[in-house]
Amino acid sequence: MIIESTRLGQLEVNKEQIISFPSGIPGFPNEKEFILIHSDIESPFAFLQSISEPNLTFIVVEPFQFFKDYEFSLDDQVVESLKLSGDNPPRVLNIVTVPEKAEEMTANLLAPVIINPNERLAQQIVLEKVSFSTKHRLFPEGLPETETKGGA
Amino acid sequence: MLALTRKIGERIVIGDNITVTIVDIKGDNIRLAIDAPKNIKIYRGEIYDSIVTENKNAAKANNLNGFNIIKGFTKK
Repeated sequence: MIIESTRLGQLEVNKEQIISFPSGIPGFPNEKEFILIHSDIESPFAFLQSISEPNLTFIVVEPFQFFKDYEFSLDDQVVESLKLSGDNPPRVLNIVTVPEKAEEMTANLLAPVIINPNERLAQQIVLEKVSFSTKHRLFPEGLPETETKGGA
Repeated sequence: MLALTRKIGERIVIGDNITVTIVDIKGDNIRLAIDAPKNIKIYRGEIYDSIVTENKNAAKANNLNGFNIIKGFTKK
């Protein structure tokens, strides 16, 4: 099937690639199906594109290389509803917000997206009793030099 | 909106399977015990609002500049 993305253009996806968010995403309760697009397999960043809403594209990031002390435990309810197990370990991604100054982009560590890649099930959870917030800068010392156009 | 007065130990039943019990009151703080099905997500209001706000910002603010940076970023 072809899905439309305002930012990424037309995307050809298999139904098996669709990740289901049975509870929606806070703020977007009706968006229950997304696909994960990796522009580069080596990149910790990816795009989470809504199947039904071309305008809805989240940037997501694998947190652990940016935030070494980021850890939390999952509630039994989350483990159960996402059908997680030893054979079905979770994948953790965090939604990125890019402000006008892109180098000040932040990751929402308070509400990680937990995915069961095998079952294609996901949920954005809200962590309890943690010191993480919705805004943690990914590049607190500015963008790495390799990021800038044409290099340094 | 319905407003109810309750005492410690009293309950409110919502629908067939949600029960809210007033466990304790100390000054401004009220402790509630909520019994609900697992598929009902329960959040503190202000935290839920902050997640909604952040998600909406993330959905609208990711401009092309951010996209380009991300496309060029690789693991080290």
